[in-house]
Amino acid sequence: MSNNMKILVVDDFSTMRRIVKGLLNELGYSDITEADDGNTALPLLKNGAFDFLITDWNMPGMPGLDLLKAVRADAKLGKLPVLMLTAEAKREQIIEAAQAGVSGYVIKPFTAATLKEKIDKIIASKAAA
Amino acid sequence: MSQDDSLSGRYRSHVADLAGALDANDERAFRAAFERLRAQLNVELNPELKRITADAMSALRRFREQARLEVLADHEVPDARRRLAHVVKLTEEAAHRTLDLVEQSTPLVDRMAYESAQLLEEWGLHGSRQLAVSTLWPERANECLERAVRDAERVRRFLSQMLLAQGYQDLSGQIINAVIKLVIELETVLGQLVSLASGEDTRRMPALKLDEMQGPGELRRGVGPHVPGTTDGGVVTAQDDIDALLASVAGGPR
Repeated sequence: MSNNMKILVVDDFSTMRRIVKGLLNELGYSDITEADDGNTALPLLKNGAFDFLITDWNMPGMPGLDLLKAVRADAKLGKLPVLMLTAEAKREQIIEAAQAGVSGYVIKPFTAATLKEKIDKIIASKAAA
Repeated sequence: MSQDDSLSGRYRSHVADLAGALDANDERAFRAAFERLRAQLNVELNPELKRITADAMSALRRFREQARLEVLADHEVPDARRRLAHVVKLTEEAAHRTLDLVEQSTPLVDRMAYESAQLLEEWGLHGSRQLAVSTLWPERANECLERAVRDAERVRRFLSQMLLAQGYQDLSGQIINAVIKLVIELETVLGQLVSLASGEDTRRMPALKLDEMQGPGELRRGVGPHVPGTTDGGVVTAQDDIDALLASVAGGPR
């Protein structure tokens, strides 16, 4: 994967989607699609050949944790890198996300450097696998 | 003598006794007649009072059990107050951050514009490339361009930070949404209290539907940003701690 990877950004707040998209653009990623919750994201993922998923947790409809579990349960999407970008900071939530197979977990508010570091780390470990 | 339950059957004799005592100006007889009337009224009102009291007690008991009135009053309303205060703080911080970055960017852009305009003007005054080259114009143009490259990079960084500063809207929005849910629940509770005060039979009211926010699905759906000073507990906010926690779970991040 490289800077031309296809990324899906899922967040119910359009401002946050714009922020993440803007930061990804700065990092050199330009093929970015947006969705506002798990219910809209899942069909896009199933039909879109995405390389990377960045998702919020707390969303109406299908929350991010359920989206993560649905992705991991899907034969085609199962190995998709999933970065959780969320304000959910309870210890048991982070553990549950880890048990559900999250690739990285970033707490809001975050910095551009943290986002870049996590994306790079996930891509590197994916490449090494 | 058969029992007469009509109004006149129940009270006519009392009224007649009272009237007779009044006509005779017999205070003792009047008081005695009045006491009999009062006793009659008590006999009729007591069962009704008992029923109303029992209804009120039962409704209050139901209220305590179902409406989480104590939890709302003791924890969630004070928490909501702190959450809204935190929103004000987040908003203020983001606004200041953005304004600071604008103030830092403005002189850099002004300098680029001023120096570029000066160089252009001088270029025009020299009239020819040879004349311009014979002055220090090329050196100054070079310095100006090098500075412009550095300043443009700084402005780009400031713009990126302004972009991130807008993230407050997501956090404050989540906090406000949670408070709105609480207000909706309070509205229901207060509506039931008003009905109770107006004598409506609360036993026929639907039980309060507790939002999933308070149920076992709370964590799965998400509880929103941690707000300092609230009853939220067990939070991990440092990125290093989160990474360590992720790594500690069997298998680590995938």
